[in-house]
Formats: sequence, structure tokens, C-alpha cells
Amino acid sequence: MTTLFEKYGGFAVISRIVHSYYDKVLDSDQIGDYFESLDMKPLIEHQTKFIASLMGGPASFSNDMLKRVHAGLNISRADFDAVADLLQEALFEHNVEQEDVNSILREIESRSPVIISS
Amino acid sequence: MDMQHFNQMLLASIGVGLAVVDVISHEILFTNPLFATWFPVPENGPRKISCVLGITDLNDLVERDGCFQSDVQVKIKRRTLTIAVNITQSKNTSDGHSVLLVECSNISKIKELEYMIESYAKLVEKNERQLRREKERAEKMLLNVMPKAIYEELKSYGVTTPVLYNEVSVLMLDFVGFTEMTVSSDPTALVSELNDIFTAFDRIVEQFGCERIKTMGDAYMAVSGLPDPTTNHAQNIARAAILFRRYIRQRNKFSKVSWNCRIGVATGTVIGSMIGVQKYVYDIFGPGVNLAARLEALSEPMEITVCETTAGLIADDFNVEMVQDTDVKGFGTQKIFKLARDVDKPISHDLPGYLAALSV
Repeated sequence: MTTLFEKYGGFAVISRIVHSYYDKVLDSDQIGDYFESLDMKPLIEHQTKFIASLMGGPASFSNDMLKRVHAGLNISRADFDAVADLLQEALFEHNVEQEDVNSILREIESRSPVIISS
Repeated sequence: MDMQHFNQMLLASIGVGLAVVDVISHEILFTNPLFATWFPVPENGPRKISCVLGITDLNDLVERDGCFQSDVQVKIKRRTLTIAVNITQSKNTSDGHSVLLVECSNISKIKELEYMIESYAKLVEKNERQLRREKERAEKMLLNVMPKAIYEELKSYGVTTPVLYNEVSVLMLDFVGFTEMTVSSDPTALVSELNDIFTAFDRIVEQFGCERIKTMGDAYMAVSGLPDPTTNHAQNIARAAILFRRYIRQRNKFSKVSWNCRIGVATGTVIGSMIGVQKYVYDIFGPGVNLAARLEALSEPMEITVCETTAGLIADDFNVEMVQDTDVKGFGTQKIFKLARDVDKPISHDLPGYLAALSV
């Protein structure tokens, strides 16, 4: 069985999706400020691996790790949903099929308890 | 469209920020729109290029290939961009003045990708290290159940072919009354002692270029002359046998449990082959193995019983004593011999130092 990671062309494509996604994030008034004056390089790198892992690619993130990196950021449900929407947009822009977008978003939703903290 | 209009459009639309700077005063003479987005030039403030770029002096820029280069960070709303600034001197303006041409390109994405590539390279390296370690571990495990040459064959071809060895020497050993020992002693301690003993045997076997084939319960089987043939297989295995016995004797002086081994040694034909598909092991079969097993069974405790062929091969180097003609099941009447004492005859040949231990 091919994974979504393989189906959409591996890291190269996911890296493009992540770049579009962060462009949207930085433009967003709801959540952009979380990312103000951050060094984006490691974020993009981690996010690419994270999305790759959600799509069955090589890399793995435990819920403990996710909890640790989001701790203290006071992320609300609204913030979480805003980010999920932007990711969805980015996925659609790169021609990821509806069904696969849903499955990726479900994966992310299942991790919401460790990301949302307020 | 006239040429000037075209040039203006070009300057406005290209993805490079451009500025023209006076070579003497360093005042900015012209900027295109993209340059102005990254580096806004104040209407009334200083128009010096260094102030606008946020560097103290143009001299700070690195000179490379006749032009000045630097990476400058600018913050546009929430984004921090990395801009590569390239300054060259242009000599051929129409009025004969020299100007500095400042070209700026946004290399943030490249930097981000570089970072990512580096991170993946590290990930790959790490995985590769892990794989190599795993492979070494697997290799080590496999070398426990088969000779190295057979392992190499298996690795290269995926299969191994059974090989007939015409003359090798086989050693079989087991312990007298081991079954009774298992019920009377603490099993953990007993197994741990057996493990110690077999580990010591493995070292001895390796020292004399023999191969440990297998252990089965308290039985230990080793062979010399395969997979690489050697002319002095009988001597090698006899030396190993003698050291086995010496080791047990020494051990019994200090150990609570007294171990008594029987050893049979025979020279003959065997077939060596991998057996099994999922759970495979290298094993040997044939008359050489059977005879060694029979002789071991006939052996008195702490004696090394050898067949006539072996005895003939080692008679010059070891003290062999004929026991008697004995009926050996499957082999008819055989002359059997024993290795009388550890080593009686002085070893005159140029033997390696470790054999000095035997010449006591």
C-alpha cells in the first residue's frame, strides 16, 4: 500500500505545502503573532517532518513531544482551528484530494488535546 | 511601447531589488519598487546606502570577485527575510560618472531549504549508523551459528551448497552424569557453569583454528579442516581436546560441582551444510561425526579417545596409547587409542607461544 507521503511525491512536495502554509500563517491576524520574530527555519523543518509523518512518511513525533513544544503557548481552540483551516487551504492549493485532506486533518484533530492549552 | 517605458516596467516587475548609488557620496539615486519594499528610503532622512541597508559602512561588506556581498536581515510585518545584497561598480554611464549598482535578492526560502537539507542529511546519517549497527549485530549472531566462509557464501549468493570434506577431524564431548546433575543441583547455577565452560571451549577452539559446530545440552562438537582445509586438522583438534581436559581439571580444583568429560576424536569424511530455512544452522554429518560420537560414548571419564586414523596422524606429536580392539557400532572392529597424558613428547617444532602451556 502506498502512503499519502509517497502518493504526493515525498518531501519535495510536502516542503512546498509547508511553505505555502507558513505564508498563510504569517499573514493571518488570528495566529500570525504567535510566529512574529521567530526563526522560521527550524519551524519549517519540523513542520515538514510532522506533516510527512502524518502522511505516513519517515519521521515520527510522539504526543509527548507535541505537548512539550506547545506548552505555555496558550493555544485556544479558535487558534487551533484557524491553523487547521490554513493547512487545509495549503493542501488544496497543492492538489491534495479532498479525501486525503480529510484524513490528514483527522490525524491533526486527534492530537488537539496535547496542543490546545487554554 | 517605447524602450524607456519598457525598461521602467522591467525594473518594477523583476524579482530583484535594485538601487543605483553615487560612487562618491554613497547617496541613493534610484530604487525600484521591490528595493523600496525591503529597504524604505526616508524622504528627508539620510539617503546613504549604508544607513538604508542597516550596515555601518560599505567597507563591512565582503569583497568577492570584485563586488561586495552581504546577507542582510529585514523584517517585513511578521516575516524576517534574508536578503542577499550584491554591490558592483558600473563605469559606463552616459555622462561618464561611475555608479554603484545594488542588487538585492530574497534568499529566505533558500536558507530555509538549506536548513532542511542539513537536517535531513543528519537524519539520514543517523539512520545509516543505526542500520550499520544492526547489520553488525545480525552478522555477529549469524557467525555464531555458521563458519565465516559459509556466511560469506550465504551473503553473496543467498544460498549455500553442501560440501563434502574428505578428511577433517571431529571432536565430540559430553559430561558424565549431566542428567543427574540437572536434577540434583540448582539449575540456574548449573547452566551458568556450563555456559562458562562452553565459552572457554569456544576460545580454545578459536585459538587452534577449529570451528565450534554446535552444542546440544551438555554435548559440544567442534571440527578442524573445514570450511578451509588444513593439513594439520588432527593436531589442531587434539590440542583443543587436551586443553578442554586441562581446563576442566583446573576448574574442578576450585568448583563446587565436579565436572567429568568424555571426549571422542575421529578423522574422516563429513558433509557440511546449512540446514533449515527459517531457523537455520550450519551442521555436519557423515562417518567422521558418527565415529567421533561412538568413541566419545566409549571413552572413560576424563579420557580422550581417538580413532586409528587420527592416532596415525598425531603419533609424532602426541603420546597416543592403544586401548584395545573394540567393536564400534556401525564401524565394525576398530583399533582405538587414547591421548595418554597431556603432552608427553617435547614439542620440538616452531610452535606458537601459546602452546608452551602444553609442554609441562
